[in-house]
Amino acid sequence: MDFDLTPDEAAFRAEVRAFLTRELTPEVWREHRDLGEQGMWTPAFTKAFRRKLGAAGYIGMGWPREYGGGGRSRVYQAIFWDEMEYFRAPGLDRSITYVPNALLALGTEQQKQSLLPRVMRGELSWFVGYSEPEAGSDLAGLKAAAVEDPATGDFIITGQKSFSSDAHMADYGWVAVRTDPAMSRHRGISLFIVDMTLPGVQITKYPTLAGWTHHAVYFDQVRVPRSMMVGELNEGWRVVMGAIDFERAALASYGLVGFQLDRLLAWCGAERADGTRKLDDPLVQDELVRLAIEGEGTRLMTYWLASLHARGLMPQHETSLALLVKRETARRFDVAGLEMLGPFGPLRAGSPWAELEGDVEVEYRDRLYFQFAAGGFDITRNVVAQRGLGLPR
Amino acid sequence: MDITLDEDQAMILRSAQEFAREALTPARIRALEADDNGFDARTWRRMADLGWAGVVFPERYGGTGLGMFELGLIVEALGQGAVPSPLFSTVVEAGLLLLEAGSEAQRAHWLPRIAAGGAILTTALLEPGGALGSAQVRACAQRAGAGFRLSGTKLFVRDAGAAAAIICLARSGAAADDLTWFMIPADAPGLARRRLQAAGGESLWEVTFADVAVPADAVVGAVGAGWPLAERLLLRGAALKAAELVGIGQASLDLTLEYARTRVQFGVPIGSFQGVQHHCTEMYRDLTVCRLLAWQACARLGAGRDGLREAAMAKAKASEAIPALTRTAHQIHGAVAYYRDYPLELYYHRAIAAAAAYGDAGHQRRALAGLMRGDLARFQGEHRHDLPVHQG
Ligand SMILES: Cc1cc2nc3c(=O)[nH]c(=O)nc-3n(C[C@H](O)[C@H](O)[C@H](O)COP(=O)(O)OP(=O)(O)OC[C@H]3O[C@@H](n4cnc5c(N)ncnc54)[C@H](O)[C@@H]3O)c2cc1C
Repeated sequence: MDFDLTPDEAAFRAEVRAFLTRELTPEVWREHRDLGEQGMWTPAFTKAFRRKLGAAGYIGMGWPREYGGGGRSRVYQAIFWDEMEYFRAPGLDRSITYVPNALLALGTEQQKQSLLPRVMRGELSWFVGYSEPEAGSDLAGLKAAAVEDPATGDFIITGQKSFSSDAHMADYGWVAVRTDPAMSRHRGISLFIVDMTLPGVQITKYPTLAGWTHHAVYFDQVRVPRSMMVGELNEGWRVVMGAIDFERAALASYGLVGFQLDRLLAWCGAERADGTRKLDDPLVQDELVRLAIEGEGTRLMTYWLASLHARGLMPQHETSLALLVKRETARRFDVAGLEMLGPFGPLRAGSPWAELEGDVEVEYRDRLYFQFAAGGFDITRNVVAQRGLGLPR
Repeated sequence: MDITLDEDQAMILRSAQEFAREALTPARIRALEADDNGFDARTWRRMADLGWAGVVFPERYGGTGLGMFELGLIVEALGQGAVPSPLFSTVVEAGLLLLEAGSEAQRAHWLPRIAAGGAILTTALLEPGGALGSAQVRACAQRAGAGFRLSGTKLFVRDAGAAAAIICLARSGAAADDLTWFMIPADAPGLARRRLQAAGGESLWEVTFADVAVPADAVVGAVGAGWPLAERLLLRGAALKAAELVGIGQASLDLTLEYARTRVQFGVPIGSFQGVQHHCTEMYRDLTVCRLLAWQACARLGAGRDGLREAAMAKAKASEAIPALTRTAHQIHGAVAYYRDYPLELYYHRAIAAAAAYGDAGHQRRALAGLMRGDLARFQGEHRHDLPVHQG
């Protein structure tokens, strides 16, 4: 039992902090922030930044050395994710976290050899095509289909994917489709890597209430070679489930919550126009202390999870639990932050008199999805109860 | 960083859990709640034989030289088994106070006896004001010759009925923090004890001192230096009560899951209802967070580091979350656990007793608020960041 970073872990954290401090200057922040994008940065900057992450060796640091990885323990990855979130840095998404992790675990040798080096250099952007208009939490209801062309062995994909984050900037899609409608719902699904430049791929836009634009992807007779199938034919459900574990682990990071806490502490500690400080209000003090305790619990959950991985203990439902704690805590901060800002709370980014650049209001809108998307609160409660606590389905 | 139990620690927890499971039957535990001593002397001796009474003492005092963290695991297991013992009064309060501040003669006399399970001791700190501050201490020690004469009323004194001696905090001078610990034999003339009836059978007592004669060598630590010792005693108590609450929560969750899997209504186990499942996940979520916070607090104090932030966080969280968890556990059990012969009630009561000890949730949050305003970096802890420069 050791709650401290080793000297080497501490040095790594200091190095990542220095990197992010150097790269994300106030000028960069002003120039490249873009509230019209899901990641809150311009796509061009996100892509350029991801290459810098690659060059600095931060992508794939936990992968085996035979694939060019850094062979570092999960604690290092947790530290990196933590810092990236704290700095609200661009590019910490599926493209460097769970898609390549799933590829590493489940892809063919040829896929790994051809794609992972490019992932590691930060060259590739991905979108994940699971959800469809009629297949949300019940993903096994998906209908987009791929039919094998017996002449070539290629698969021809037709159908619609919805809520497709960052599809407009993706080089590849990680797409689940039905390959055998006669099989039971969870079987008969296969997973394909789809080159987004192929003919028949079309992307449409939907404005979100958070202010950024989301996408949907249509596939019309898109021809994908069999070599781009991940896992066995009709065994895609297992790939999806494996990848979801990686996804939850990557999302269950502490940094965001730590940032929310520190920002709120700083804001409440600052003297206001009338000479008072929020921090001198006992009700505010009590709320901040409660939030700090929840924040500390979140931090410990994150590093507990990393420790379990580092010890090879293969956490399962613990990952979902850590994600639940992180997201519930982040939402609590969103709400508390807005309340503490009082009449300034609803002032939007760019408004005269907006406090904290209107970020708190933006985040209150944006992170609404924490409650229901990818490991949403209620679905996660089901998962933990059934998989972790052994309650009957 | 490695937030997992190592082999030895996992062993200690497992064997303590095994002990706690078979040590006493629920019927015997209930009988002990009505007993004046509140614990079973034979069981305490067995615990001492396992080395638990001396787990935090150095070997030269008959201890095993392990630390607070290991003690926390034992306390968690005892909480899980609802095993009453004088561990808190004798080891956590008096033992560690003597180890920290006692004279060599006091340590050499008492610590080996505690470790062997032969001596029960306790401390007397709280008074009718109920709050945990130095200003609340009204008990007064007047100089009388080489010694003192002590008068005052102390409340919530753990295991006073069984204790051979009581170490009492009293005012020793006019200055605000002029407080001193005095060790007084329980049979001293002028000392009277009265049992309080508390939830979970906690053996809490009122102890009154009516002009009790106290010799000079009864002082523990330096005269006038009592309050910092009291603060550290409370901190250790808080961290370890947080660990006990984790054990209480674990037992309540285990009972609940077992019941949810087996109780059939509407033709199916109630655990298949989503409302029940979500309750269970929330219990497990809160328990896990409480456990990590408690582990951290015990580890820090065990390493001799400043642990105010960590202990206060652990105790504040557990004092609210675990009683709430036991209420949810009863929700899922329904009527069956409303009856005394169902074991869940043991935990329902123990949770509120533990939550109230060594500073309740409000006390801990007040301490944290003080830290937040007085020493922000310490409040944020050693893993804090600095806000990025772009966050103007
Ligand atoms: C910002 C954002 C980004 C996203 N990015 C992607 C992406 O990149 N790729 C992708 O494939 N998808 C993406 N999604 C879709 C996301 O995965 C879905 O929102 C999620 O799967 C839930 O589906 P749904 O929203 O259709 O809700 P539904 O499944 O229709 O559920 C509606 C409500 O009912 C509840 N519910 C449903 N079933 C149960 C049950 N069994 N028990 C209890 N409650 C239940 C849900 O919790 C939810 O509250 C994104 C969504 C958002 C909002």
